[in-house]
Amino acid sequence: MTAQNTLLRKAAPGDTGPRGPGARRPGRGFALFGRFRPAFVSPAVLLVAVLLYLPFVWTAWLSLTRYDGLGSPEFIGLDNYTRLLDDPALGTSIRNTLLWVLGTTVLPVGLGLLVAVLSYDVKGGGWYRLPFLLPYAMSGAGLGLVWGFILQPEGVANRFLGFLGMPGADTAFLSDGPENTIAMIVVWTWQQLGVNMLLFVVGLQSIPRAPIEAARIDGASGWRLFRHVIWPLMRPLTTVVFGLALVASLKTFDIVWVMTQGGPGRTSETLAVTMYRDVFVADEYGYGSAVAVLLTTVTGLASYLYMRRQIGKEDR
Amino acid sequence: MRVLRHAVLVLLGLVWLAPTYLIVGNALRPATEYDPADAMRPPTDFALFANIGEVWERTELGPSMLSSLLYSLVSPAAAVLLGALAGYAIVVLRLRRGFLWFMIIYGGSIFPFQMLLVPLFVGYSKTPLYDARSGMILIYTAISVPLAALVMRNFFGGIAVSIFEAARMDGASTFRIFWRIYLPLSWTAMAAVFILEFTFIWNDLLFGLTLTQSESTRPVMTELSALTTDVYAGTPVPVALAAGLVVSVPTVAVFLLTQRLFTRGLTLAQV
Repeated sequence: MTAQNTLLRKAAPGDTGPRGPGARRPGRGFALFGRFRPAFVSPAVLLVAVLLYLPFVWTAWLSLTRYDGLGSPEFIGLDNYTRLLDDPALGTSIRNTLLWVLGTTVLPVGLGLLVAVLSYDVKGGGWYRLPFLLPYAMSGAGLGLVWGFILQPEGVANRFLGFLGMPGADTAFLSDGPENTIAMIVVWTWQQLGVNMLLFVVGLQSIPRAPIEAARIDGASGWRLFRHVIWPLMRPLTTVVFGLALVASLKTFDIVWVMTQGGPGRTSETLAVTMYRDVFVADEYGYGSAVAVLLTTVTGLASYLYMRRQIGKEDR
Repeated sequence: MRVLRHAVLVLLGLVWLAPTYLIVGNALRPATEYDPADAMRPPTDFALFANIGEVWERTELGPSMLSSLLYSLVSPAAAVLLGALAGYAIVVLRLRRGFLWFMIIYGGSIFPFQMLLVPLFVGYSKTPLYDARSGMILIYTAISVPLAALVMRNFFGGIAVSIFEAARMDGASTFRIFWRIYLPLSWTAMAAVFILEFTFIWNDLLFGLTLTQSESTRPVMTELSALTTDVYAGTPVPVALAAGLVVSVPTVAVFLLTQRLFTRGLTLAQV
């Protein structure tokens, strides 16, 4: 999300400064109504403050306490955080989260880009894209449900692979880590390719024709045309799509919760699932809050670093 | 080159269609005839509606779809209105330190929801909001406001100030100008945000898990996720697949009917 902030700074007119021809500072007529202005923002601000910011601060505080939901939180300093350091379940959880980040930024985004580039100027491209859009309509929970049944041992997936004579027919997809995480990443790719493709197609269709035509006349085609003309033109878009996938992958929860609940034996947990389990299954509100703080820190840091790198590139 | 391009598209498309076929094909199959060994074979009988009937009988998916419909209609509508009001104050009325106020509202969408769950659960439990429809509408509205504010602010920024000035000359009140001029002018942006947020809330699992308990308030995805746990162990595969398809109907419909608006929403939400 932070990825967007710097972009919107450029894109959003109107907060300060003049707005082009004919703009002028509000005169007395405006000032008369100035006292109503806060009334227009305050409902939004109030809602966000009470339901988003207040819980945020509260969680940060709870991460410094021992609390089981009953009684009152007991302050224990940084104990929850030192405990995080040698919690084996957290190690697995971090590894899985990294797998999710790697897998979902490479596969759905990369393949989405591939399909978009191959199909955007082909006659009947819409039909080629349809198979990828169908799965996108499914929710994370619906997806987890149907794939849970497909991937169960001796289930449809095993039979199907056997039917095609492909390897993997006897794999227990959801039983061992990290195979179960990889299986879920593949499922996620199946669903998410569509939306990434859609965004890339919109982007490709809106890039200016002139430079492409010029390059064509100069004899560029195929890979060279893409690499040296189209790719640079769609950079701002790829930055955003990639950034969104990055942030979303760090927060993976729904599909894992529905397919494996993080199991078996906590082998497929992501940070978001670990937090939920610590709080609502193990009743460790303080410790779970520390995991939430860790997740927030990682997400914030990732978006910050990603944005900084991208902006650095634009300036060059 | 051309041929290769088409070949890659067709091949990938087939790979993508295979699971779709397995899901739809087996959702159509009569529940009693399901056998994983035969899962690839096309169904001989059409039993989708029987399976859906079974879903209705075995689970509380019906009532929870109604709850989710309520949440995903009311909350985005409220959020769009609140976001539009805020955007109007910041951009059109030029609220002092408008950018700061905007960042405060928008910043609410930056951190993961995990950061909210414990306090919301504890706080809701101490009030009548826990396991209540009002509580769900409230939190869904709150998480929808930042995006609405972002899009509406950007959109209002593109409307000429002279419109405001002319209306002011004619003696229209600040609120009237908002209601009668700015809102009607921006309905496409509002619709795009509404559709995105409708989809998001319909698909929400996390808040439903955390803040509801009883069947009458549970949103649909939370109820659906219960199908995989032991409560419903023994649900025949075709019935579960049918359930997975049924709950996707509203979002598929919205997506197909409004594909252009939807895509526009995705782009608006990012820039």
